Amino acid sequence: MSKNKKNLQNPRLAAIKALSEVLDDRRNLGDCEALSRLEDDRDKAFARNLTYGVLRWLGSLEWLAAKLLDKPLKKREVAVQRLVLLGLQQLWHDHTASHAAVNETAECARLLGKPWAVGLINAVLRRFQRERESLLGRMEQAGKQFAHPDWLLQKFKDDWPVQWQDIVEANNLQAPLWLRINRLKADETALRNRLETAGFEVSDHEFARDAIRISPAAAVTKIPGFEEGWLSVQDPAAQLARDLLAPQPGDRILDACAAPGGKTAHLLESCQGIELTVLDKQEQRIGQIMQNLDRLGLTAETITADASAPETWWTGKTFHKILLDAPCSATGVIRRHPEIKWLRNNGQVDAVVQTQANLLDALWPLLEPGGLLVYATCSILKCENSHQIHQFLKRRKDAVAEVPALECGVDSPEGRQILPGEAGMDGFFYAVLRKSF
Amino acid sequence: MTKLSILEFPDPRLTTVAADVESFDESLQKLVRDMTETMYAAKGIGLAATQVNVHKRLLVLDISENQDQPRVYINPQILSSSGEQEYEEGCLSVPGIYANVKRAENILIKAQDSDGIDFEEELEGLHAVCVQHEMDHLIGRLFVDYLSPLKKNMVKKKLEKQRKVAAKEAEEHLAI
Repeated sequence: MSKNKKNLQNPRLAAIKALSEVLDDRRNLGDCEALSRLEDDRDKAFARNLTYGVLRWLGSLEWLAAKLLDKPLKKREVAVQRLVLLGLQQLWHDHTASHAAVNETAECARLLGKPWAVGLINAVLRRFQRERESLLGRMEQAGKQFAHPDWLLQKFKDDWPVQWQDIVEANNLQAPLWLRINRLKADETALRNRLETAGFEVSDHEFARDAIRISPAAAVTKIPGFEEGWLSVQDPAAQLARDLLAPQPGDRILDACAAPGGKTAHLLESCQGIELTVLDKQEQRIGQIMQNLDRLGLTAETITADASAPETWWTGKTFHKILLDAPCSATGVIRRHPEIKWLRNNGQVDAVVQTQANLLDALWPLLEPGGLLVYATCSILKCENSHQIHQFLKRRKDAVAEVPALECGVDSPEGRQILPGEAGMDGFFYAVLRKSF
Repeated sequence: MTKLSILEFPDPRLTTVAADVESFDESLQKLVRDMTETMYAAKGIGLAATQVNVHKRLLVLDISENQDQPRVYINPQILSSSGEQEYEEGCLSVPGIYANVKRAENILIKAQDSDGIDFEEELEGLHAVCVQHEMDHLIGRLFVDYLSPLKKNMVKKKLEKQRKVAAKEAEEHLAI
């Protein structure tokens, strides 16, 4: 027997498959095969938005589904359950015509070989349409409108008692598309002209000097100048690492956890005369960095090694500056990667905090006296950021936290926390640590 | 492993009724491996021995999304069935044609594995559709046999046309 390939081109079925790839196989949303094999661009955009939408609102959608289903679906009927979520997401947040949303979603059950579920999905979605206002009201009363898992919501409340609602709100908004201009290759005026001619609206960032925002969002390969290396996709918050490191000719700099190489490339684009050592633990990710640098017309010495084990790779030559863009919970970039909310757990956060501490301790001796270590995470949890640095400063008496020269963020004695949404940026933490003589 | 060639409708050999498998020897193991490989290579989710011109009661299938859960059913029998479902079926022996077919929603089957050990399974959804579709092959029946004579004839013509186009293309390639 063979399956009809037309099914593969059904955007709603592709979204169901993509959800499975992300939630069951732990694949990155950007790498979902189900989405990339859609041939029609409009279908692809629709399926992608649906998948993002369901992942963004998953907790709330599950709550709604539970209220709408007479009895929970069996565990093995996960595809039917996800069809219900998909239908609810469309009715709740998408501007798809409601009638089409209900029918087409229900009909997908037939294509999945589950014709018994067609009627059920139809009934559930129509009931949502009828009881929408009261259901959404009850959801708010139950505190389920935030669409964050309880453990994470609690952490946000503990860490940011004043700002947590704003954080949650920003996490549930679609992120803007920010680019970084490669000034080695691109003339800003010429690039702007090309972008505007292609129909994009272009705007500046308040203080990230190389950042421009374009709308509407588009796939990178569709952005004029991308293939030629005129630009990269990077959030302005990540672009601030360069400002804090302020590379000067002759600087010997270590980029310790470099992949995918955005900050690496930015350093090289900004200053030609630096001696940059680029490190990452995974061979495959080093390949990714090389590819990016190649596109941008840059080169650097790359090493596949574990930064927290310098004995395996360090030549003994101290660095003037170190960028430690540490592995983290990524809780600052939830708006770009909504799946983070459902794939992470408390235990993983504890583990990554330990990894960060190990990295700080291992790399500090590689810095020459007077040198600078910039510690960065795309996390907004204090245990990974200000508390982490606080502990480090207690361990290392020769480390001093300087005030980061940034025009944004929430200040603490240890560093600066940018919260998601501030000046259109991702959530990011920076600490600038100076080694005393 | 060897990739086997698949008979295509209206090949009369597809109407052969298969005989029970009696010996579970190395040649049977090889047939199972070859059929599985053939199924994967053809991007199918099920294949009956009849389709590769071996008239024994066995079928292989893999309905998993990642195509990493191959199954084999030897001498399958449906013990009971209930409900009804309609699914748009396709068949490696009727390439490019898809049609809705009504089948039982749930089936209880008894079969043997490749070592000849008996097992029973309750199946539903696509898994049940696929087993019923393949078991039809073993009694010489195709899914297009469920269509009206008029529609079945249209399928036959469409396939003939497809083959002609393919043959012409092959010829043109040779000419170049």
